Parts: sequence; C-alpha cells; structure tokens
Amino acid sequence: MADRRSFNVKLFIYDLSKGLARQLSPMMLGEHTSIVVYGEEYFFGGGGILSCFPGGTILGMSDSTVDLGNTEVPRDLFQEYLSSLRESTYRPEKYHLFEHNCNTFSSEVAQFLTGTKIPSYITDLPSEVLATPFGQALRPFLDSVTITPSGDNGMNGYGQW
Amino acid sequence: MAENSGTDPAVETNIEENAAASATIIKVTVKTPKDKEEIAIAEDSSVAQFKEEISKRFKAKQDQLVLIFAGKILKDGDTLGQHGIKDGLTVHLVIKTAQKSSSGSSQTSASSGPGPSQGNTAETADPSPASNLGTPEGSGPSPTPTQPPNILAGFGDLSGLGNLGMGSANFMELQQQMQRQLMSNPEMLSQIMENPLVQSMMSNPDLMRQMIVFLYSNFNILFLLVKTMELARNPAMMQEMMRNQDRALSNLESIPGGYNALRRMYTDIQEPMFSAAREQFGNNPFSALGGNTDNSGVQPSRTENREPLPNPWGPPDSAATTTTSGTASTTSSTTSSTTPSVSNPLGISSSSLGNGMFNSPGMQSLMQQISENPQLMQNMLSAPYMRTMMQSLSQNPDIASQVFMNNPLFAGNPQLQEQMRQQLPVFLQQMQNPESLSVMTNHRAMRALMQIQEGLQTLQTEAPGLMPSLIPGGMAAGIPGAPLPTGVNVTPENPPPSGQGPAPAPTPAAGTNTAQQQLMQQMLQMFAGGNASTPTPEVRFQQQLEQLSAMGFINGEANLQALIATGGDINAAIERLLGSQPS
Repeated sequence: MADRRSFNVKLFIYDLSKGLARQLSPMMLGEHTSIVVYGEEYFFGGGGILSCFPGGTILGMSDSTVDLGNTEVPRDLFQEYLSSLRESTYRPEKYHLFEHNCNTFSSEVAQFLTGTKIPSYITDLPSEVLATPFGQALRPFLDSVTITPSGDNGMNGYGQW
Repeated sequence: MAENSGTDPAVETNIEENAAASATIIKVTVKTPKDKEEIAIAEDSSVAQFKEEISKRFKAKQDQLVLIFAGKILKDGDTLGQHGIKDGLTVHLVIKTAQKSSSGSSQTSASSGPGPSQGNTAETADPSPASNLGTPEGSGPSPTPTQPPNILAGFGDLSGLGNLGMGSANFMELQQQMQRQLMSNPEMLSQIMENPLVQSMMSNPDLMRQMIVFLYSNFNILFLLVKTMELARNPAMMQEMMRNQDRALSNLESIPGGYNALRRMYTDIQEPMFSAAREQFGNNPFSALGGNTDNSGVQPSRTENREPLPNPWGPPDSAATTTTSGTASTTSSTTSSTTPSVSNPLGISSSSLGNGMFNSPGMQSLMQQISENPQLMQNMLSAPYMRTMMQSLSQNPDIASQVFMNNPLFAGNPQLQEQMRQQLPVFLQQMQNPESLSVMTNHRAMRALMQIQEGLQTLQTEAPGLMPSLIPGGMAAGIPGAPLPTGVNVTPENPPPSGQGPAPAPTPAAGTNTAQQQLMQQMLQMFAGGNASTPTPEVRFQQQLEQLSAMGFINGEANLQALIATGGDINAAIERLLGSQPS
C-alpha cells in the first residue's frame, strides 16, 4: 500500500438482449455489468461475488466498456473490501434479480474504487422493467426465486447475472 | 456541537474545541461494506484525526482503518480538505482484518485440475479443508487474506456461472458441500477468485454461450427429448398412444365441425409456433403445409383413407396430399395438424415434426451440438441450479407455466399452453429423475435420437405402408427406428406384461381424452419412475386402488391419476385427492 500506483477501473457492460437468448426467454432482462480492475473481472451473481479474467465469463467479452478512471486502492485492500461485502450485503443468497443484482454490485464497487457511479441507465433498468405490466407479472416468479447456498432451493439467478 | 467524545490526548480535544471555533464541523458518512455511520468532524481535520473518530465509532484499531475517497487512499498525514471531503460526502472505509500471512498458499490452485472443463478435478481434489493445498499460482501479486479451507470452494462458488461449463455428475454434491463451507467461512471466497483453475474454467466462452442457448430452450428441447426417450423406452406404449390418438382424432373429425376445428387448430397453433421457431431456426417448413390447409375445405370423407400418408420427413409439398385425409392417422385433415391432446402436447403430428421441428437446421444443429457435446448436456443437467430451478418450478407450477407459456414457441396457443401446464408437474418430476437425466447426458443416447430420426425417415421411404401406425403421434423425432417395426407387431424390447402390446391400452376408444391422459401419464410416470417395463397403471396400482376405494375415494378415475402422478404412493395420492377437492 505504500506505493501510489494507480489502477485503471473499467466497467464491462454486457447486453444480454441479443440473439436466441432473448427470443427464447423473456427472463433475460437488460444488462449484466462487471467491474474490471487489477486485470480481473469482478461481478456478483448467483454464486456471490466472483471473479475471472476479463472477458472470461460465459458471456465472453463485453459489449461495451466504460472507463471509470483510476483508483489508488491496492488490490489486497480491494480484496478485503470484497470479503467484507461477501459477508454482508453481497452474499450469494442476497442476489435478487431486480433489486440487488450484478449491477448493484458494480455500482457499489465503482463507487468505492473511484467515487464515480456507473451509468444510470443500467441501474435504473430494473425499476423500469418493474414498472411495466410484464415486469409485474414476472415479479411473483422472480421473488420466489431465491438463491440459497445450500443449492437445494431456488434457482441461481441466471436471468441476470 | 462536536459530538466527538473527549478523546484521550488532550491535544485532540483541544483541536476539536478549536475546530469548533475555527472550522465548521462537517458530517461525513463513513461507509464500510457492512454498514455506515455518520461522523462529524472538523473540516480541516487531518485524516489521522478522522481515523481516530472512526476507530472509536467502529470499534476498530486505527491502523486497521483504510479510508478511500474518490478512488484515493487517505493517508494519515493528509487533511480532509486536501481530498475535497466535504459535508455530506461519503468516504469508504475498509477495516483490515488481521492478515493471515500467506496470500498464496491458500486454496485454489489446489484443485490441481489441469483443464478448465475438467470439472472432475473438483471431485478428485481433496475436499477436506486443506489450507495449504498448493502454491499460489493464483492470480495476483497481492496476498489473499485467509486460508481456504477448501479449494473446491472455488467450484462451489461458481455455482451461478461456473457450473455451466464444468462438472461431472458429482459436481452437484460437491458444490453443495462447498457452499456450506463457504457460508461458514466467507473469507474463502476471496481466494476463490484467485483460483487460476477457476479462472481457466471460465475460459471456455463458447461452451458457455451454448449453454445459455440451451438454458433458454431447455424446456422445449428437453421436454421433447424426454418424451422421445419415453418412446424409445417403450415402443409398444408409443404405438398404443398413437393408436389412441388416431382414434381420438377420428372421433374428432366425425364431430360436426370437427374437421374445421382441426384445421383451425393447425392454423392457430402451428403457424405461430413454427413461425416463432422459424425465427430461431431459420425456416418454417410448415408454411407450405399451412397453405395447403386452406385448400382443404373439403369435409373429410368419413371413410378410411387408404392412401399412404405422405412422407413426413420428405419435402413439404408431399404433405399436400393428405389435406383431405380423414384417416385415423394423426395427420388427419391438415397434414401437420394434430389435436394437441395430452399425449401430443405440442399438437405436432409426426409429419410436421419430421419436417420441421427436429429437422430444421437450427434444431438439427442443436441436436448436433448436444450429441457432440456430451459435456454440455451433462453439465447443464447436473448443474445444481438446474436442479434447483426444476425443483422450484415444480413447486410452483403456476409460475413454471407462466414462464413456460411466455416462451415464444408456445405463444399464441392457449391449448398448447394448457397441455403444457398439465404436463409440467410430471415433466418436471421427470427432469429430476436421475435416470432421465442420465439418459440425456448420455451422448450416445442423444446420438441414438438422431439415428432414430433418420431411421424413421428411412422407414418412411422404405415402407410407407407402415406409417399409419408408426407415426409417432408427434411425440418427437426421436422415435426408435429399430424397434419400431417390431413395435408394430407387438413385442417391443420390453415386453410389457399386461396388454400393452398389440392390444390398445386399457383405454376404451370412448373415453379418449381420459385414455390418452392415462396413457400419457402412465408413460410419463414410467419414465419418471425409470422403469420401462411396468404394467398399466391399473394393474400396477391395483392394490392401491383397492385401498383407496376402501378408504372412501370412490372416484376411481381420480384415484388412478393420483396414483400415477405419485408413482403409486398411496399417501401422496391421498393428499392429491384431498387437495384437489374444492375447499
């Protein structure tokens, strides 16, 4: 932590509404985002906070990238931060498709690392969807979908990671 | 106004007091991952002073605190003003836990697994909490906080995504175990992220992408495939089903207006369905067929049509000849229309199916992919989330049906949806049947399905006379080509003890719907139960039926269905029967 190296922080945005996926399932909503820093991609999903190398999720490379600037936060500190998050608000079971999803996580981490937020159209998406009749119709289903670590009940929210 | 309690060093106190006089007190929100607090501090305080307040409030040692603002680490020597920290702003705080030395030693790597898709490594790796399993080949330069009690946690943690490409059949158990451990030791998670194996596992995006496709089409494909497999397992059953369906259809046609109803059915059901499919799979082979139906405004002849049925797997135009058929065959009046009955939930006749659904390039490519990617299917099916999804869906049939119905393939067809809805619980139960899963994960089985399809095609051309009774009733392309001929003559591979062979199933022609339903349920149940050679439900559940009626459940029909649905479990059947009563 002594050195003041600065690390670039990027936001990866994946547009999930393309191709077969959308046609076959109305569940795919909006976009998945992840934060890329220290050469790794961090995101929040059904399995909790996870990371991989950039572009390494099943979604491949992002559709668009937003540069969030730089952070001085060193990696080990960030890891600590993440572990705290994992114990609190970003446990796997806390995943909620609409209200507490990957975009929530990206937003919070972006805020932590750089002080800037991610584009609002991403974070606003769930409320927009919920405002539609379709979203409301889906809501009972989505609410019933819970993510539990035991893996026996509920479904890992693959609708919007 | 400073609510800062008097700190020990008088200096600080003085400073605070002075601050009250010389600088404004600002309220800064200090946010940790777990919670946040508002701390009032003098505007010109130094970071060190700020930390002091924080340490009191958060009950942490000052040197454990790391403050971050706007992406910068606040050093003790800085001042708040230097960083632009003003009233109402939020500063992030990380409280460093006691560092556990080794970054690397922990976790991961351990899985030692070489390949990413070697989910097996998860199995083989030692699941016991071994903290220093391997070298920290991991990722980063920075040490990870804690020892990973379990390297396999890396796998478990990827349940959401990582599963997709990974895994073996045992993955599920492993993962659950992992997750349990994870919950008890969250710090493991951070190391999981460092796991190079984890990272490499994610490195197969193509496979993963395929999974997405399969995920969303799974209900369609899997449902059909499952049905296919039932047929494969019991061709005699299938034959009976076909016969019953034929019977039902002929009955339907004889009803005044029935023919038109059938035709309408086709237009209403299949057109949109396969148009939707066309979007995905690139062609709607039924459009030609659909055009033919309009021409067939002729009433069925009401006599048995002895013309050979068109080759369902042949070119679409050949189907035109059957537009006026009033045969007992499932193709009925409108070539590809078929009553979407229970036994034929998709309302697809074999002809259309042959041409369309499973022969379309898209579907074929999917089937191809399935058979070429045994891992794919297996992974998908063995992934815990799949199971949980199935379970949750089976527990919430309404929701499941909603999701299902919204699928564009079924859109615009309320009858079809109804069928699906009815089928759903059993279907879901099937999906959870390990045996059915194993069949589906068996790529040889998948390959067999394709062969079946081809076999049927061959059969069509070679022996068109066989077709009337060989039409799979729209169950799917995966009809066993080999056993089929024998199936026609009764003895299938699994000679069912009771009269399932040549004789029509215990379903009289009159009660076709019921019969079909029973038949269907029986088939489904058989499949779900994994027993290919069970007798008819009535025979199988004879004892239970007697018991039920002795208990006062006099509705034999309902009893039978309940028993079928519960696989002969009397108690569960009773519950079903009781639950179905209006209350």
